[in-house]
Amino acid sequence: MTPSITVSQAMIDAYAAISGDFNPVHVDPEFAAGTPFGQTIAHGCIPMEPIFQLVQGRLGVAVLPQGTGMTLRYLRPCHPGDTIEIVVKADGPEEGMAFQCVNQRGEAVIEGVVRLAQGGAG
Amino acid sequence: MTNPLTTYAGADLGREVCRGQITLTQGEIDRFCGLMGYDSTQYQGVAPTSMCLAFGLRLGWEAQVFPRGVIRVGDENTYGVPARAGDVLVTTLVITDRFERKGRRFLTYQMDTTNPAGQQVCRVKFTAIIPAGAA
Repeated sequence: MTPSITVSQAMIDAYAAISGDFNPVHVDPEFAAGTPFGQTIAHGCIPMEPIFQLVQGRLGVAVLPQGTGMTLRYLRPCHPGDTIEIVVKADGPEEGMAFQCVNQRGEAVIEGVVRLAQGGAG
Repeated sequence: MTNPLTTYAGADLGREVCRGQITLTQGEIDRFCGLMGYDSTQYQGVAPTSMCLAFGLRLGWEAQVFPRGVIRVGDENTYGVPARAGDVLVTTLVITDRFERKGRRFLTYQMDTTNPAGQQVCRVKFTAIIPAGAA
């Protein structure tokens, strides 16, 4: 089963409390309404969460192996109400696991690559 | 007052901007597990890897390094040994790059977190758009 996460404003607010990141684009709907986003956006760490759970699940481990690298590009915002899933685009010992975090409209929110210290992620 | 070392113009690339420490508690791990849907029974004494992303963010916001309205556009992260409940974790923050593209200003922040044994827990390096009105 592919890990997914459904984002809510309550989740964003809770992540703000954990990370100390009370950037108003995340937690202040009035402020966010005046930005190009038009509404609040999730912290980038929230929509990327399923990639951690996918790799850990595949490896059968609770935490990523030491030396794991992750390169990410944030392509579009993730809003409350969005559900994010992982789509694996490629996987191999040399290039690592290329993935996208995709919302319920099929739009890529994040794209990136996970590289384990000893090679591919799968 | 804004620390000049944190501004686009004043950033001294590669110089430590701030340093902070936290003591990680099982309660914080439990809250994170609950938020992100982890089975907390697997995380007794050890934090999920993704929780490490929060340590540098917390330092950067508490030390008022990141400008209000900053937008993250990309990361290059490395994960080391797991963070454990009771660890006193030390995080340092450095601005490593600045550039302009299409009229926008970008800064790259690097946050390194180590455990009491001096082992790397994570390196979170992200690039962000600096809001037009920020220093």
